Amino acid sequence: MAKLPHLKRVLIIGSGPIQIGQACEFDYSGTQACKALMAEGLEVILVNSNPATIMTDPEIATRTYVEPLKAAYLEKIIEKEKPDAIIPTLGGQTALNLALELDKSGFLKKHNVEMLGATAEVIEAAEDREKFRAILDTLGAKYPKSEMVKNFEQGLKVADTLGYPLILRPNYTLGGGGGGVAYSPEDYQKMLAQALHESPTKEVLVEESILGWKEFELEVMRDSSGTFVIVCSIENFDPCGVHTGDSITVAPQQTLTDREYQEMRDEACRIVNRVGIQTGGANIQFAVHPETSERVVIEMNPRVSRSSALASKATGFPIAKIAALLAIGYQLDEIKNDITKVTPTCYEPSLDYVVTKIPRFAFEKFSGSKDLLTTQMKSVGEVMAIGRTFQESLMKALASLEKNAEAIPHVEFDMEKISYPNSDRIWHVFQAFRHGVGIDMLQQMTQITPWFLEQIEAIVNFETVFKNSELTVELLQKAKRFGFTDARLAHLKSFSTQNIKALRNKFGVRPAFFQVDTCAAEFASSTPYFYSTYWSKPQGQVLPLSDKKVVAVIGSGPNRIGQGIEFDYSCVRGVKALQKLGYSVAMLNSNPETVSTDYDTSDSLFFEPLTAESIQETFSVIKPVGFIAQLGGQTPINLAKNLVDNGYKLLGSSLNSIDLAEDRKKFAEICRELNLLIPVSSMVANLTEALMNEGKVGYPMICRPSYVLGGRRMEVIENRQELESYFERHKEFISNKNPCLMDQFLSGALEVDVDLVRGKGWILHGGIIEHIEAAGVHSGDSMGVVPPQRLKEEALAHIEKMCGALADRMQIEGHLNLQLAIKNDEVYVLEANPRSSRSVPFLAKATGIPLVDIGIMAQMGLTPDAAELEKYQWRSIKNVCVKGVVFPFKKFSESDSILGPEMKSTGETMGRAETYSEALVKAFVSTHISLPQAGEAFLSLRDKDKEPLLPYLKQLKTMGYTFSATKGTADYLKQQGLDCLSLNKVHEGRPHCVDHLRSGHVQFVINTTAGKHAIEASFAIRRACTDYSIPCLTESDAAEAFVKALENSKTGQIDVGHL
Amino acid sequence: MNYYLALENGEIYKGAAVDQQMASAFPEKAGEVVFNTAHSGYEEVATDPSYFHQIVVMTAPMQGNYGSTQNDWESSRLWIHGFICLQLQNTKRNSSWMQRLVDHKVPILTEVDTRLLTISLRSQGTPWGAVVCAASEKEALAKAKVLITETQKIDSDWAWLVSRKEIENIKGSNSQGPRVAVMDFGTKENILRELKSRCSEINIYPSRATVSEIERWNPDAIMLTNGPGDPAEVQDAVETVKHFLGKKPIFGICMGHQILGRALGAKTYKLKFGHRGVNHPIKDMLLNRIYMSSQNHGYAIDEKTLPEHIQVTHVNLNDQTVAGVYSEKYNCLGIQYHPESHPGPHEAVELFNYFVTVMNKKKVNANPSLLKEQTC
Repeated sequence: MAKLPHLKRVLIIGSGPIQIGQACEFDYSGTQACKALMAEGLEVILVNSNPATIMTDPEIATRTYVEPLKAAYLEKIIEKEKPDAIIPTLGGQTALNLALELDKSGFLKKHNVEMLGATAEVIEAAEDREKFRAILDTLGAKYPKSEMVKNFEQGLKVADTLGYPLILRPNYTLGGGGGGVAYSPEDYQKMLAQALHESPTKEVLVEESILGWKEFELEVMRDSSGTFVIVCSIENFDPCGVHTGDSITVAPQQTLTDREYQEMRDEACRIVNRVGIQTGGANIQFAVHPETSERVVIEMNPRVSRSSALASKATGFPIAKIAALLAIGYQLDEIKNDITKVTPTCYEPSLDYVVTKIPRFAFEKFSGSKDLLTTQMKSVGEVMAIGRTFQESLMKALASLEKNAEAIPHVEFDMEKISYPNSDRIWHVFQAFRHGVGIDMLQQMTQITPWFLEQIEAIVNFETVFKNSELTVELLQKAKRFGFTDARLAHLKSFSTQNIKALRNKFGVRPAFFQVDTCAAEFASSTPYFYSTYWSKPQGQVLPLSDKKVVAVIGSGPNRIGQGIEFDYSCVRGVKALQKLGYSVAMLNSNPETVSTDYDTSDSLFFEPLTAESIQETFSVIKPVGFIAQLGGQTPINLAKNLVDNGYKLLGSSLNSIDLAEDRKKFAEICRELNLLIPVSSMVANLTEALMNEGKVGYPMICRPSYVLGGRRMEVIENRQELESYFERHKEFISNKNPCLMDQFLSGALEVDVDLVRGKGWILHGGIIEHIEAAGVHSGDSMGVVPPQRLKEEALAHIEKMCGALADRMQIEGHLNLQLAIKNDEVYVLEANPRSSRSVPFLAKATGIPLVDIGIMAQMGLTPDAAELEKYQWRSIKNVCVKGVVFPFKKFSESDSILGPEMKSTGETMGRAETYSEALVKAFVSTHISLPQAGEAFLSLRDKDKEPLLPYLKQLKTMGYTFSATKGTADYLKQQGLDCLSLNKVHEGRPHCVDHLRSGHVQFVINTTAGKHAIEASFAIRRACTDYSIPCLTESDAAEAFVKALENSKTGQIDVGHL
Repeated sequence: MNYYLALENGEIYKGAAVDQQMASAFPEKAGEVVFNTAHSGYEEVATDPSYFHQIVVMTAPMQGNYGSTQNDWESSRLWIHGFICLQLQNTKRNSSWMQRLVDHKVPILTEVDTRLLTISLRSQGTPWGAVVCAASEKEALAKAKVLITETQKIDSDWAWLVSRKEIENIKGSNSQGPRVAVMDFGTKENILRELKSRCSEINIYPSRATVSEIERWNPDAIMLTNGPGDPAEVQDAVETVKHFLGKKPIFGICMGHQILGRALGAKTYKLKFGHRGVNHPIKDMLLNRIYMSSQNHGYAIDEKTLPEHIQVTHVNLNDQTVAGVYSEKYNCLGIQYHPESHPGPHEAVELFNYFVTVMNKKKVNANPSLLKEQTC
């Protein structure tokens, strides 16, 4: 059977803003599916609220809607576009839940929209834990003992029967949200209340612990005729108890016998058939007892997932694309394998290499939150590496994390860090072996399968051999085959990295580049998807596969807070632009979640660590005419100098231009030269120096250690006492070598982001995003709006002019991103980034200007047609676009949701509408901030916010909301004639305001505060809001915006529009 | 001393020997060099008699990970003439696979550039080669040449070399099931296990068993097993099978399938590099489905030479070669791959049910619990 004949228009739902547990892997799968469906001649209607994605690039689908992923908006879109079918399996849990909701309400049926890939019954059979377990029972499949808990009292009884530790799994949440491991009744009661709250159906599966069992995943595909294949088996390095998204994982599985593996495969097949999956991909997780080999089913996802993205990259099997084609009627044997071009897609990839994935975490951003891994996912990104052996792939993956050039540096030996799962455990396992701790003991403490520990032990043992042996060709060869970086080897020999590299070149110890071909070399393939390995002879040159000149684009590596999907957007768009200019583009990246690492995005893909060493080796075999460093965020910028020093050509802005932006002293000088204001600033090495300079900078000020990413350890300091405390707390990060920056803080200033592209003799302004929150909130965390609502035309013109002058002075060729602050009509330059930025995709979607394409022209030294440049006028856009922001505070218990100069958000959305207030509504709604239609607002305001907020509070009263407040605020409100319930602050005794919040009386909170002491005192208020999903505004400007949105949402009017 | 895999065409691959096989302890052997793409199942592969005299290159780089279990052996010994891989675990835990290979004097070569070797095997076909210990490449090639010539002197009827020489009787666990005569061309244990669970009794005959020996026992059906080598070189069996065509239901697997094909009048030919792995897609028009199969064969039936009344019911979707034939007239079925799996996926096990129920019309009472059992 081929394509279903009646299908013309298909609706695809994306997964919305990047959040922990649902990240850019769904941009990858959605984009791939859209492309496949478009190629089949279908019209694709795409909905996603996330403007940073590649899928929302207007070229990907027939119609692109950047609208909130809520049923009401989807209904409008369906009414307007009249699709024949919806494929709900490509946009993660968000899309699945949304499709289910539309189906249940009867809306899909009413509008004759078919569900393809998974019906409502299938989704429920897989996702509803009770139904799923009933299915397992009929198949005789085992699962951990458990009970579905629907209320707190029942939960207590269940715990008594099952015994501790217990695992809590709320129904229908993503990334194990709201779940975890309870070791004691105290933990359990607290977690149960939270878990019941998190589940949209108020159901929590409470399960006996299988901590310490081996964990596996199978990525499966099935077509409508019943053909079933396992695309990839994945084995977790970390045993059960750690969410698979937080585990180090390995593909293919390594430690099961064929008998055990085939039995698991059979069971997966039976489950898929019984659940009723007609077509598409699914993921099933199993646990296997390390001694008895008893096997249990943990869960299944009837859709593409994070693991399926990983499996696609690990095997070369494009799961999302195939799932989309199966959904529209094709069979597996009718689709050819993209890679071999001759064999059909109904096969199971065979790997002649090992793939390791390691998650990247951000605990340091959420002080107060313990670095402990549980069944609730906490990582923000991941790397993948391919090697011929497990050791080589593990070591490459560790290097790919971009944390340390040595990949496995010495860490301070701490057995405690081994005794529970945490983000640093892997390095401590290495360290333990260095200290002679044996496998048995480590196995007991970690329950990691001994096979993995043996692999690590062998690596560590070799360190000693290497240190004590004469450096021969063989020894060096062996070291590189283990995956050691030059930097680590240099450290072991007390050499310089350069020395090791020179020696390698002399000895000819260089990597080979092997193809990922899905079939272990059984069939010829021409897919240019490569990885490096030292287990073969170097070939000298891998490319070209054509006679075109090669340009290399360096990607952005693992997602982290501050550097995420936005940069992948730039990379992918840049690759396409370069291809249009006739180049063969080589993509280098280490992040399996991305579109840039899809093997058909670029002309050749190198899945490699983004380290100077790996990139140089890659460049030596692809011989690029130049490389692009402006698209992948800070990672390639940091690598540029090393690559230039090694003879490779940096395209676009020179190292000198980059330096002018990055070196604060030089940057200050050119600003002075151009008569541009910058905040008063001082660099100090210790507290004494700080106190000497406090008068010059003045309070409030912002302090931060130099060389930080995403505003790490950046704080607003209000007075001397806080300054002293700051130096006390961060002293280990401040020294003569790494001084602390003290900047004048422009309290209350309006901030803007500016993006422009400059070429030789021309400039294109991409737009100015006005922040909604005042200065002091990191630009990645603040909401923003384009076109600006407060700045006047002449101010915008002035800003453009000064930014242009700055770009000219810096001799930028390509992108320049600037952050400015406007206070008392004066414009201050805060920061310059000589690269594409987080705001570029947002602006590109808001204005329709292909900023990255133009940026590529500038970097290649080309000048666009004047008429074309003339066409791009960002100020003439019709709609207002508001950036919404998503935070992961829920996942980090005990973390504070107050915003500051350190970035904490994981994702963004775009609210796009004719008016500012409607755009605000969409921005809030799409970031899961509810807009309550009535009820009580709780207020706790610092003095300086009271008066400016008064008109808005009065407006709220008119709109029918009631107030409660802490005493000071309540008194003020009463004086102003507003009724208000006065509540105790936490330290004033119970019942206090937090009791009131946690009892569910309050619909939203405005809590503005400043100063370390006050912030700590009001922490419990914000945490209660995070736990109970109560909107909490911590900035007065954001509160104003919220009131505007509330007012608009009361009209109940919903409009949607495509890009 | 160095350790090499030297091919008859002069190509040479350097590797490393394991500690227990250093220098004079290195068991040099020659054989046909083949590659297998399965991720797991090294024990099943090495103990499968169909790998008789073959040097097996495992494309999966990590071997020996789960040690050795012996439950998963397909015969009582190792048949391969060399185990070539990138990395072999030498675990101190449990029983080590490396130790088993050493105990059975199978030469082990690790740290071989197996990917380049596989690419070479896939483009030149599967040559003969030898695993040797030598001071230089030149010496290795010379040694290999001698070893290859020597080894090739053995009887060309490889099935006979690995077959049982005595008739063996096994009671089945299904008293209602048929009595099946098995012609052993080098059977895997799992064919016997699958039969045992479905049959009342099986009699296993040597590959050169005569018609009268088999007729004397008067079986309900005949099973032709897998086995090594060129089907054209197998003595007597084709004639024996011809006799039973149309008289008894016949089920042939792998070599058995090829023998059946020849008995039906078809020709067999050598594939360029064979099929060895567990991910080969099969279109099964008998059971009407597509599934993954476990494969290990170097020869195939030439479709053009099949008589008209023989249907090609199973096709390998990778290269469209004949993967199964069926004749209603003669009530016989040949399957080129391994429905008994081990290693590999289980989907095709259903064909054993087809054999004992549908084909064996006189005795439909096969073990009902097994018939309900579907792998998935």
